[in-house]
Order: sequence, then C-alpha cells, then structure tokens
Amino acid sequence: MAYKYCVAECWGKGFITHDDASKYQVSGFPGNVWQIPANNQDANLWVNKVAGSFKTKAEAQAIVDVEVTAAQAAWDALPDEQKQQPFNKQRPTAIVLE
Amino acid sequence: MTTYYGLYGQKVQYLASDPTDVQVGQVWYNSTSATLKVNQLSTVNAWASGGALGTGRYALSGTGTQTAALGFGGYTGGGIYKNNTELYDGSTWTNSPATLTTARGYIGQAGNQTATLAFGGSTSPAPYGVTNVESFNGTTWTSSPALPAARSSCGSCGTQTAALNFAGFNGPAVYSNVTESWNGSAWTAGGNMNTSRVFLGGAGTNSAALGFGGYLTPAGHTSSSESYNGTSWTSTPSLNTARSRLAGFGATNTAAIAAGGTAAPGNTNSGATELYNGTSWTTNPSSMATARRFVAGNGTQTAGLVFGGHPPASGTTATEEWSGIVAQTKTVTVT
Repeated sequence: MAYKYCVAECWGKGFITHDDASKYQVSGFPGNVWQIPANNQDANLWVNKVAGSFKTKAEAQAIVDVEVTAAQAAWDALPDEQKQQPFNKQRPTAIVLE
Repeated sequence: MTTYYGLYGQKVQYLASDPTDVQVGQVWYNSTSATLKVNQLSTVNAWASGGALGTGRYALSGTGTQTAALGFGGYTGGGIYKNNTELYDGSTWTNSPATLTTARGYIGQAGNQTATLAFGGSTSPAPYGVTNVESFNGTTWTSSPALPAARSSCGSCGTQTAALNFAGFNGPAVYSNVTESWNGSAWTAGGNMNTSRVFLGGAGTNSAALGFGGYLTPAGHTSSSESYNGTSWTSTPSLNTARSRLAGFGATNTAAIAAGGTAAPGNTNSGATELYNGTSWTTNPSSMATARRFVAGNGTQTAGLVFGGHPPASGTTATEEWSGIVAQTKTVTVT
C-alpha cells in the first residue's frame, strides 16, 4: 500500500475519531509524524482537520530519524546497571517508514 | 397490511428533530429531513484518540472503564518510578491529590476508578518486584496485606475484593508461573500457569481469567494464551502475533483485547489489536494509531482504553479509546 505523511500535534480527544479510524488507518511515529493511506479522500480531509503539514516520505523519515537517534543516544548514556533493568533492556530501534 | 404497531405494539414517533435521549432500538420519523431513523448497535472495532495524560510515563497501570478510569504509577526512565494517580472521565485526565505510598511501575491492577487494588511492581531499589499492596477508594490510597512474595511485571485482573496476580518476575531475572488470588482480606496460592513468563496481558476475573502473550527466557516474545477457571490454567488458542509488554483487558476470559506491545523482528513496537471470543484470537483490521510498549489498558471488549507507554524514552501521554460495539443512529431506507 502507498502512504502519505504529515506532521501534526495530537491535541487529544477528537484528534482521531472512531469515524476516522473506521475509514482508514492513521499511524503515528516519533516527531508527530502521521502516516495515512495515499489516494484516500477522507484521509486527506483528516490532515486538513488536524491542521497537518504534508511531508514527503524522505522528509518524514528524517524527522523520525532525529527522534530515534536522540532516544538511542539517551539509552546509550544510561549506566550499565540501568540498562539491565527490566524496563530499560531494549535499545530504541530504527524505524523505517513504508 | 402489516404495520409497525401490529408487529411491535408501538407507533413510530413523528418528530420535527432527532430526540436527545435516544435508546437502543428506538425508531422515529424525522419530519424535517423526511427520514425514518433507528438507533441500533453497530460494530465499530476502532481506536480513537482520547485526552492526554497529565504526566507522560510507561509501565503504568490502569483500572476502570473507558469513561471512568484510573491510571497510576509508572516509569519515566533513568530509574525514576512514579506515584502519580490520574482519573479519566471519558475526555480529560485529572491529577488526583492522592499518590501511591510507594512509587513504582508495572504494578498488578484490579478494580475500578473508585475501588482499585494495586499489588507488587518495580521500584528503584527493587526492579524485580516488591510485596507492597495498596487500596484506592476514589480519594486515598491505603496499605493492604502484602503479597506472599515480591512480584513485578505480572498478569492481573479482577476487582478490588477478588483479584488475581499471575506469572511475572519472582526475584532477580526469575520468570514465574505462580498465581496468587485475593479474596478481599488475604492472598492464597492458585494453580500455576503452564508457561512461566513476564510482561504478559491479563483479562477477566479471579475465577475466570485469561493470560496471554509475554516474554519467555530464552525464547523471547510468546503468543501463548492460557485460561484460568479459579483452580487451574489450560492452554487456549494463541495470539496471532507473539508479543510482550502489551496491554490486556476485558471483563471475562472469553471476551478480551490484546493491544500494543513489542514483537519480532527487532523488538518492534506494535499497535496491533486482537480480539478473543473464547475460541480464537482475531486480528482487528485497524491498529492503535500510536504503536507502543508498556502501555496500560482497562475496560471491556466493547469499550476500552489504553494510555501511556514507550516511546518516547520518558513515556507518552497518548490515550486511545477502543470501541467495539456502540449505539449509532442510522437512517432507514424504506422501499
């Protein structure tokens, strides 16, 4: 499936409604990046509703990469003792947008 | 000629506008729009965004319903565990002045917004478990009889006076299959799960529970699911996606939801949602909007809630509302 991307800040209730979600999948990524199906009129209208700013896939990937790199650096900086704790064992992994 | 009155013993209301207090099954004619309308139950099976948590965190716990939930505890990374308590009213989270006596994450959870039991969990000096149990009455937390052994990252379900705690850590890196049942005054041993695991999901009651997913050592994420009858655990059909650190909720062991978590390959964060009907798990076509792990969940298969989770490294404030079956007004086409 082909996708489009936008950046929008989630304000909470009403950002994605059940009506939106029953028509198309909206998937969120670090950096307030949102993925919607391409060629979907309802999804395009949703981007307008949330005052989203369309990004190319490369632009969206760059935003996500910055967030993931920062998270990885923060994890790498943890003391070894904390890295071994149950909640910290997983180093943030790279996210590749489809 | 067959009439609506003849079939149902009632006349169709003739109204200038839609009624405000609509009941399921109610039928009326809207004379302004010239349409016949009915309020009926419809299957939605989708997530919508909810109000943001006041404090972003992960490995927090939740009880209650979609419109009256309690979120408590959690972790914000860097060895910092939280004692925050927040209340959700269906649109907004409000900080409660009451805080857990012992700040901790991955706490066992049972009950509702005004009657919750919080048991075990991880603290900074004891990441693999504590015995602490606390009870919330809607305004304050008070200590309750301790767990028999230190536990964390368990599956859990039930009510404040009839709770179940199963599997999880039972000491440093010790993966447990132990079950403990709470009757409102004391913890007693239940039947052991067939598979020892941590970071699993749980649903149901203390006499009809479901434990699913989780992390095994050394195998990793599991899809294994087990059902409890109050005495013993029985293997049930597996999740479609093996995962751990997921949210699980549901009122019974035959109507549960598994959402989010991490899955292979590479411990990828998941937003996948699966529904259990007592016979099999079905993957829902649409997923949570924000894939995450260590996410809290509560509610039922028809109306649930997830909130918090990781990423980011300090935890998210994101909340999503699950609607399975809802009442919707639809226009009836008469031919």
